[in-house]
Amino acid sequence: MMDSSGTTLMDLITADPSAAPSASASSPGNSMQSTTSSMEPPPKALGKPATDRKSKKATLIQIPSDTISAAKAVRANIMPPKQKKKPVSYAQLARSIHELAATSDQKSSQRQLVNHVFPKLAVYNSVDPSLAPSLLMLNQQCEDRSVLRYVYYYLARILSDMGSQGLGAGGGIPTPNWDALADIDAIGGVTRADVVPKIANQLIAESLNEDIEFHARRLQALKALIYASSSNSEILTKMSEIVFGILDKVSDGPKKRKKGIFGTKGGDKEFIIRSNLQYAALSAVRRLPLDPGNPAFLHCAVQGISFADPVAVRHSLEIISELACRDPYSAAMALGKHAASGGALQDVLHLHDVLARVALARLCHTISRARALDERPDIKSQFNALLYQLLLDPSERVCFEAILCILGKGDNNERTEERAAGWYRLTRELLKLPEAPSISSKENNVEAKDQLPPKATTDKSKKTRRPQPLIKLVMRRLESSFRSFSRPVLHAAARVVQEMGKSRAAAFAVGLQDIDEGDHVNTFADATDSLDSDVNDTSHPEGIRRTSSVANGTGGRETISSLLVSLMEVVRTTVACECVYVRAMVIKALIWMQSPHESFDELKSIIASELSDPTWPAALLNDILLTLHARFKATPDMAVTLLEIARIFATKVPGKIDADVLQLLWKTCLVGAGPNGKHTALEAVTIVLDLPPPQPGSMAGITSVDRVSASDPKSALALQRLVQAAVWFLGENANYAASEYAWESATPPGTALMMLDADKMVAAASSRNPTLASALARLQRCASNGSWEVRIIAAQALTTMAIRSGEPYRLQIYEFLNALAQGGVQSQFSDLHVSNGEDQGASGTGLGSLLSPMIQVLDEMYKSQDELIKEIRNHDNANKEWTDEELKKLYETHERLLDLVSLFCYVPRAKYLPLGPISVKLIDIYRTRHNISASTGLSDPAVATGISDLIYESKAAPAESDALDNDLVNIWAANLGDDGLLAKNAPAINRVNEFLAGMGTDAPDVEENIISRPSVSDMWAKTLLEATELEEDDVRSSGSSSPESTGSVETSISSHFGGMSYPSLFSSRPAYGASQSSEKSNQNRLGSVSTMGTSSFLGIDSPIREEPLSYKSPVMQRYESFENPLAGPGSSSIGSQDEEQVSSGNSQFGTALYDFTAGGDDELNLTEGEEVEIEYEVDGWFYVKKKRPGRDGKMAGLVPVLYVSQS
Amino acid sequence: MLLAVLISNSEGNILVERFYGVLAEERLHWRSFLVKLGSDNLKGAKNEELFIASHKSVSIVYTVLGDVCIYVVGKDEYDELALAEVVFVITSTVKDVCGGKPPTERMFLDKYGRVCLCLDEIVWKGILENTDKDRIKRLIRLKPPTEF
Repeated sequence: MMDSSGTTLMDLITADPSAAPSASASSPGNSMQSTTSSMEPPPKALGKPATDRKSKKATLIQIPSDTISAAKAVRANIMPPKQKKKPVSYAQLARSIHELAATSDQKSSQRQLVNHVFPKLAVYNSVDPSLAPSLLMLNQQCEDRSVLRYVYYYLARILSDMGSQGLGAGGGIPTPNWDALADIDAIGGVTRADVVPKIANQLIAESLNEDIEFHARRLQALKALIYASSSNSEILTKMSEIVFGILDKVSDGPKKRKKGIFGTKGGDKEFIIRSNLQYAALSAVRRLPLDPGNPAFLHCAVQGISFADPVAVRHSLEIISELACRDPYSAAMALGKHAASGGALQDVLHLHDVLARVALARLCHTISRARALDERPDIKSQFNALLYQLLLDPSERVCFEAILCILGKGDNNERTEERAAGWYRLTRELLKLPEAPSISSKENNVEAKDQLPPKATTDKSKKTRRPQPLIKLVMRRLESSFRSFSRPVLHAAARVVQEMGKSRAAAFAVGLQDIDEGDHVNTFADATDSLDSDVNDTSHPEGIRRTSSVANGTGGRETISSLLVSLMEVVRTTVACECVYVRAMVIKALIWMQSPHESFDELKSIIASELSDPTWPAALLNDILLTLHARFKATPDMAVTLLEIARIFATKVPGKIDADVLQLLWKTCLVGAGPNGKHTALEAVTIVLDLPPPQPGSMAGITSVDRVSASDPKSALALQRLVQAAVWFLGENANYAASEYAWESATPPGTALMMLDADKMVAAASSRNPTLASALARLQRCASNGSWEVRIIAAQALTTMAIRSGEPYRLQIYEFLNALAQGGVQSQFSDLHVSNGEDQGASGTGLGSLLSPMIQVLDEMYKSQDELIKEIRNHDNANKEWTDEELKKLYETHERLLDLVSLFCYVPRAKYLPLGPISVKLIDIYRTRHNISASTGLSDPAVATGISDLIYESKAAPAESDALDNDLVNIWAANLGDDGLLAKNAPAINRVNEFLAGMGTDAPDVEENIISRPSVSDMWAKTLLEATELEEDDVRSSGSSSPESTGSVETSISSHFGGMSYPSLFSSRPAYGASQSSEKSNQNRLGSVSTMGTSSFLGIDSPIREEPLSYKSPVMQRYESFENPLAGPGSSSIGSQDEEQVSSGNSQFGTALYDFTAGGDDELNLTEGEEVEIEYEVDGWFYVKKKRPGRDGKMAGLVPVLYVSQS
Repeated sequence: MLLAVLISNSEGNILVERFYGVLAEERLHWRSFLVKLGSDNLKGAKNEELFIASHKSVSIVYTVLGDVCIYVVGKDEYDELALAEVVFVITSTVKDVCGGKPPTERMFLDKYGRVCLCLDEIVWKGILENTDKDRIKRLIRLKPPTEF
């Protein structure tokens, strides 16, 4: 019945005609086969999906061919040999039922039915309703038991819900779509709806028939009724009435338990009849929809525990167990004395029905853990004791279920605490065997009878009757199970170990105080003594040493860890099992039992060698990856270990694992790792990138570079996908891992304004945030050196990082992208890259076109930032307030940039400041004015006092800045401008000017854009259209890094930031020789022709006066102060010069204006508002002392002058 | 819940199948998955040697008996060990029906109707019912489970 229409079950039956028992074949076949009617059903292969059900017509057309093959097989038995070739169709079978039903009193008809018609009909999923009248007729008239049994079988099938496809739960060849047949009136138009009530009525009548002669039929009628659709409430109600009625009648009366326990013969007739009815009724109740509100369910089920029929007891326990999940209290109350020693539940322990004992374990677990029963510890302990006794059960199924219950494995809502308590129970509690002698003797009997190998502990317990530590029982049981040859037992044992690992991990996760695996398990009096020893698994080495003694079974003083060690040894050897599913489960168990403090080399090597086996199915491998995921969630400490393991998967079987699953694992590990772990976690992820990437060459089969795994093209491709995933992941998450965000930078924002040359910037960046720096380095390598796909993703990842990171990372990436787009520096990055004749894409036409929109966004951001600064200075110079119009422009620029940026990656719009931190005040003002009530706006000092005040921190003493001697500053500035002698200093100033001037020239562009306020898509289109133009700009702008330019990377970097330098940090002077080119390039980039001279004077005026205190950006200020040492007195450090004057006196006190993070050993961390004593000032730095040590314990150090307001 | 019971011949043609709570569209996948498992692993296997597999939370236990392969699929309380019980019940019943020894395919097909009736007594609506082969034998002859 299966695969192809060519081979069907029917065919199979005919396939071996010689073996066909022709003896039983008789005449009825003749009539059947003679008809090849058009209404034949489609006796398709069972294996054919029901989905080929098409329209009715199609179905009918299809019938003949399918029928032929399907029916052929059936016929083989029925037909005389000569007619073998002709298939028996469903219709023929149906017809013969009709005919034979009419003559059911004849023996030959009965034989025909039993031997031929009914068995053939069983090939089909069901029978159609048109047969129901004949079946019912047979049911009433036929005496033959076999015929009747089949009749019940088919009636049940008609009753069961077929669904729209006529495909019942039973499977098999689908029966014809009888509704279709009814429509065309081919079989008399009988539908299911017509016949179901008739069948149900008859079965109900039979199930109420108390005639003893009718007993067996009554049971079958009840059973058939069970199959009625659960959606048919009418039948359901009726059924409930019947079964509860039966149970009422049969549940009381003399109980002859114990005698009929094993369902063996014996007992009087009445008792057996009652027991049979109990069984049938409870089977029916078990399959009724559970109604927790109906006390009858619980009542009947509790009664059922004492029934003689083992299956009935099983059903009772299953029902109670389900009810107890919802209402443990009433279940426990109803069970009452059954749970007590000698009660019915105790008897279940010895019931010869495995599933009944499993249900008992679940029931005990549910009740003993129920919160609702917290006030009844007596009840709980009764059930607990029962549960523990089930550990001794001879059947693994029951014992393992009991272990899982003790471990706290719930069906659904699994809680860590429950798990942890489970581990505690397992390692701490004792099994005390009941006193009752009768029970123990019975137990012996049962065990003696059982064929299953009894575990050593049972014997011992019988002899000694000493309380047994659970852990020992469990360990021994598991160890012996691992010696089994049965795969299901091995698999289940490994699963139990896995669950043990879960509970253990949970116990450590919640930090249960007295988990000490060094405890001696068989001397529990001592247990509490050692509670103070290490909670961790540090006792393991000791445990390992003791393994030998444990393995010898000499007992001695065993510890939990030693027991675990010996168990794990057995588990590891199970890896040798030839069944890959068992091995998978073993590996999962090992992963779960792996403790974060142990070496995982062994696990790693096991996994690595396993993965070399090609028989592992992909689904199983991904399953293990998900186990890693779950393991991590339980113990975040293991992030790195687990990532290492995941890496083995990535490199060994890249073709089989799902990159999504791997990424999920990476992501969770990264998110879950502590602050210190993030760097390591990211490193572990990106180790994938350190594999030799599949080179284009190797893809073409020229060289096989990848020694790890890309031995065949498919896995090479998969590895490449994985690398892509890793690159993407890196770009997406590096900022997170490094906690470096432009909008909440740990370091002062705008650091880029302190110009560095590139090498130093990289050095500074990596010393400040090694995580981000190393991610950046990896991505840069990928972007220049990977395969096409990887490079594209790397470029995107870099853009994401550029947008999200603060300076100097953004600038670093900007520079890199420019270089990449332009291709001029490609040789620097990919010298090793052997050209294979393919354009590597880093030229203007390759990655360049991809990169240009990204670069454009960064360009826009930088331009707008420059523009903003210029505007601010202009305003400050002129002492103008910002008009609403100007603010609006600014705000619109801000929004537009946000939109642009959002095209590339997610940034928090509320926090992100594409215009730089300087803009925050102005943006806030605009927002405040237009969104928030006027009163708040007025209370804002910014609004009340005018824009220039705004840019002060409210805490900063404005008076102080006012107190600056403007005249002095101006004079100084004028002198500076005039001072041509200060050759060294002049370029620095020029740089400042250049920087300031640069922005102005570009302003119109920006403003035009603001005005039009395009939609995001417009912008995108525009971006694309402008790409070429921009690229040209870019070429010019980064000319310094192109071969023809004098500069190198450093100059072009600095050019974008106005050529400022930041020497004090690294005590190296900027290369002033480069300033000329940087000026040039800056001009070029900005497309402006403004001269340095004019702009410098324009600009200098305002910054001199305002900048020291005016900008919120501490970095700006910092940089200003840093100018000092380089520029020399009187040249660049305007603010500090002033302050030098101010601070020329004795030491003063001051207040920190901003948070300051120390950048070196001699620097001091400051918290905003902190009071300090200023000892002296040197080169723009105050040496200050705190009143009490800061978090880092330092009392004194250097802080930038501008971070402190002097009082 | 027992999700499926399948019996196939050694060539992977399915002879009997019973699904409980498995969507019609998933049945095809199960069929091909199980048949593939069998063709991969059951070659040369001993009679009634148990094999296992798993797919997510679902367990599969299968075995070979004479010319037929028997697969059972279950989840939750029907874990690998419970399924092993089910397989044991099915194999012992099938053997019983087919003359007490592992059946040839021919024999199995000849007793097809009776096998279906037995299966009907072993699994009802996805729940294991009768496990005792004598009891099953009585039930398929329309006798009460326990004789008077």
